[in-house]
Amino acid sequence: MSRTLVPIALLVALVLGAMLSDRPAPRADLTFINGSEVNTLDPQRMSWMHDLRTARLLYEPLVKNDVLSTDFDIVPGAAESWSISEDQRIYTFTIRNNAKWSNGQPVTAHDFVYSWRRAMLPDLVSDYAAMFMNIEGASDFYTKRDEILETFGETTFGSPSEQRDGAQHAWDQTLVAFDDLVGLKAPDDRTLIVTLERPVPYFLDLCAFTVFAPVYEPLVSQYERPDPETARLVRRPGWTKGNVLISNGPFKLTQWRFKRDMRMEKNEHYWDRDSIAIDSVSIPSITDPNAGVLAYQTGSIDWVSDVTASYRGDMVADKLAYLAEHKDEVDRLRAQGLDQFSIDRMLPDDPRAHTHAVSSFGTYFYNFNCNPLLPDGRTNPFHDARVRRAFAMCVDKRAVAEQVRRLGEPTADTLIPPGSIGGYTSPKGLPNIGDAANESERRAIIERAKALLDEAGFPEGFVVELSFNKDAGHDLIAQTIAKSWQESLGVQTSLSQKEIKIFKDDLKNKQYMTGRAGWFGDYGDPTTFLGINHSDDGNNDRAYKSQRFDGLLAQAADELDPEKRMALLSEAERILVEEDLPLIPIFHYATIYMFDAHKITGLSTHPRTKQNAFLIDVLGDGKGPDQPRPMNPSHSEPTAETTP
Amino acid sequence: MISMIARRLVALPFILLVIYTITLTLAWVVPGNPLENPDKRPKAEVIEAMKKQYNLDSFPRFYVSYLSSATGIKYATDWVRGDLQSEREIAESAGLPPIERPIFDLGPSLEYDDWSVNEIVSSALPVSITLGASAILIALVIGVGAGVIGAVKPNSVSDLATLAIAMIGISLPSFVIGTVLLLLFAVLLPVMPVGGWGGPAQLVLPSITLALPFAAYIARLTRMGMIDALGADYVRTARAKGATERAVLYKHALKNAFLPVLSFLGPAAALAMTGSFVVEQVFTVPGIGQHFVNAVQNKDLSLIMGVVLVFATMLILFNLAVDVLYRWVDPRID
Repeated sequence: MSRTLVPIALLVALVLGAMLSDRPAPRADLTFINGSEVNTLDPQRMSWMHDLRTARLLYEPLVKNDVLSTDFDIVPGAAESWSISEDQRIYTFTIRNNAKWSNGQPVTAHDFVYSWRRAMLPDLVSDYAAMFMNIEGASDFYTKRDEILETFGETTFGSPSEQRDGAQHAWDQTLVAFDDLVGLKAPDDRTLIVTLERPVPYFLDLCAFTVFAPVYEPLVSQYERPDPETARLVRRPGWTKGNVLISNGPFKLTQWRFKRDMRMEKNEHYWDRDSIAIDSVSIPSITDPNAGVLAYQTGSIDWVSDVTASYRGDMVADKLAYLAEHKDEVDRLRAQGLDQFSIDRMLPDDPRAHTHAVSSFGTYFYNFNCNPLLPDGRTNPFHDARVRRAFAMCVDKRAVAEQVRRLGEPTADTLIPPGSIGGYTSPKGLPNIGDAANESERRAIIERAKALLDEAGFPEGFVVELSFNKDAGHDLIAQTIAKSWQESLGVQTSLSQKEIKIFKDDLKNKQYMTGRAGWFGDYGDPTTFLGINHSDDGNNDRAYKSQRFDGLLAQAADELDPEKRMALLSEAERILVEEDLPLIPIFHYATIYMFDAHKITGLSTHPRTKQNAFLIDVLGDGKGPDQPRPMNPSHSEPTAETTP
Repeated sequence: MISMIARRLVALPFILLVIYTITLTLAWVVPGNPLENPDKRPKAEVIEAMKKQYNLDSFPRFYVSYLSSATGIKYATDWVRGDLQSEREIAESAGLPPIERPIFDLGPSLEYDDWSVNEIVSSALPVSITLGASAILIALVIGVGAGVIGAVKPNSVSDLATLAIAMIGISLPSFVIGTVLLLLFAVLLPVMPVGGWGGPAQLVLPSITLALPFAAYIARLTRMGMIDALGADYVRTARAKGATERAVLYKHALKNAFLPVLSFLGPAAALAMTGSFVVEQVFTVPGIGQHFVNAVQNKDLSLIMGVVLVFATMLILFNLAVDVLYRWVDPRID
């Protein structure tokens, strides 16, 4: 018998050994769920919101957005000050004396030159390379690098070692070209001079974007070498790992285990370390929507940054019911100008109050294919702007927002969420049947739409093909919209549900008639939304071509007076949402958070939905000031929870 | 016995080569391109260059280059050429730790930008091995226990009850068992964590979920073996010479009845320790099972090849270990 027990003993030893070698770390001061697994911690290559949210803890760009201020003010970051030339083309930044990398080395202007150059290289395939093309000579440099690579590809080398030297030479040539062409210079360690192609009024907002944060050259350059085969820089993974990564932000990365967790500790070299009220952050990788909510409810998580569970509509309904129970108190606090999290903190604790619907810097809309012909060669009715207007008026947006989504999201009549960009006035948009006060008003809107169809020569209507991808409840929205078109315009809709990859490919190739879409803004300027409708834009899935619209964007780009510029952009959006309608805005997204406002403070309710998690203070933990960190009292943007 | 082990070990690389060739061919002909993420749209020429860089433009080039880095040939040539030494010098002069270069390099993941396949496997495999090993242990305890109870009084209430439980274990899919366990022991009666990985408590529910189908199978194997053994002559002899019922059951009958269980343990352990996609999803366990599914969906060639090679190696080695144990436990077999 004793021999039979050996395999069992082996198994026991295996389990015990594995458990002893893998003991959990003590609980961090702040534990939050990030939604999805971080794709990359390389700032120049990132584009996902959860990547950016994580990276803001680790890296500090030249300047930052004060996310707790009403106007999303620009405040100093790694740069202590800056000056802008008269013609608004030359920005001179002074790097602060005490800006340090997490290994104690000083942050210099050269680090920014190195990092921004990385983003301008075609080799790196940076998603946001286009933002850097605002810098003088950047696009010439991009082209030049492509030429160098092409020349290398056409050259035949005698031996592998010759080819290696050739690849190195191509890289040296590239560096020379950069210095010759690009308006990005570091005359000394503390001065960074950026010359722009043309004035970019939101350039500082771009500088606050994490993609513009610096990386540590001595580390990163080891992992990026010219490939002897193609002369392109080859990226090797490895430098973004715990205790390897060197960064300049409030935290340093001490552990990152693939699809398990990430852990950070306060960076003791960070210049503003005294303002940080938490010493450690842990981000467990919980991507299952259900598991995230459960983990919060059992107390192992402080903040869920994006609740996507299918029953979140019920959670929001519970929250609204809770607010209704305390209506008098809520109204009184709202009248004082308090933000929604501060109000929650003043109310008695209740599990229902831990759900928060926060306005997002994004819009859900439907695309029209604006090409004259459909993919199958038929005439495209949606080529005619009148038809698009008619269909836009007859989408019951309220039904979508209130009956399908149920997240307290405001219906959208514009592409840009109103109130999200300081100094910008949103156009009114078209009337919509969902907003009609009574039946006769509703009839009037439908009659107007039908008249438009008559004018355009489609009095009988036609069969609309509506495509969407099969996830995330898009099918329910599509059915609701099809129903409202059927009831109002009497048109039939054929729903076409697709795999996400095929859906996106079809959008890109304009192989659709109408289909669902969404867009989130990247920076605080209307162009972040309007730009995708420019005739030449890579994200113009609508094939929308309007000289008037493009002209207004061009005019705005040359306009130095901020007010006049905003007026031009507002007019451009008006054309988009009142006249041409290449897209139908349906609702502005809300993001659902879970956290206890009595315990966690420092999160922003600004509709730009950018959180700087290093501002969080866990109340009552004895670390930091343990004082509530509200939004500026003047703050009064429409939030998802205040919409009627 | 030693010659058997030697023979099996010599055959190992050849078996792996065959598996490598077949898997790569299959994965290669699947349509799709790992570099074309639907949310990112790099320009066509950039995709071309990246394909070239990762050897995705030619099957023979990929076949040879992946094989040479996975087998350590690449490491050896880089070492001979002096590349590794010069890398180390550069790192030292910057005051940084040198880049870690594994000898058997399974390549960079094409889907997960910041990770090499070695890192992915080495972080996920220990998790799956721990989970699998404890699941097999639980399966043994439950399965053998239930099997013995059933065999002692066949067709009694306790036998039928254990049989019923075994049937449930086999029939119910693990996403149902897992979710029910979660609801019972983490939500309604919050004694267990909801998921995640790290502490012993987080091991309990996923292990049980993973164990139940194995336990059911082991219970049936044990019950059959025990019923056979209890009717055998040597058991009657043992009883006749006055051995206690306990000694008869455990010393004499179970010893023989356990042999079929032991031979089942080899493939079962390999299967349990290479992860279960479902159990990992339900309990957010960062094991290797998810990569089998995700890598194919993403057409992440190097990750597909990496996990397949690791799984194949484990399966071969576990079967070898069971064969060795089998011969050692039961010297009649050779």
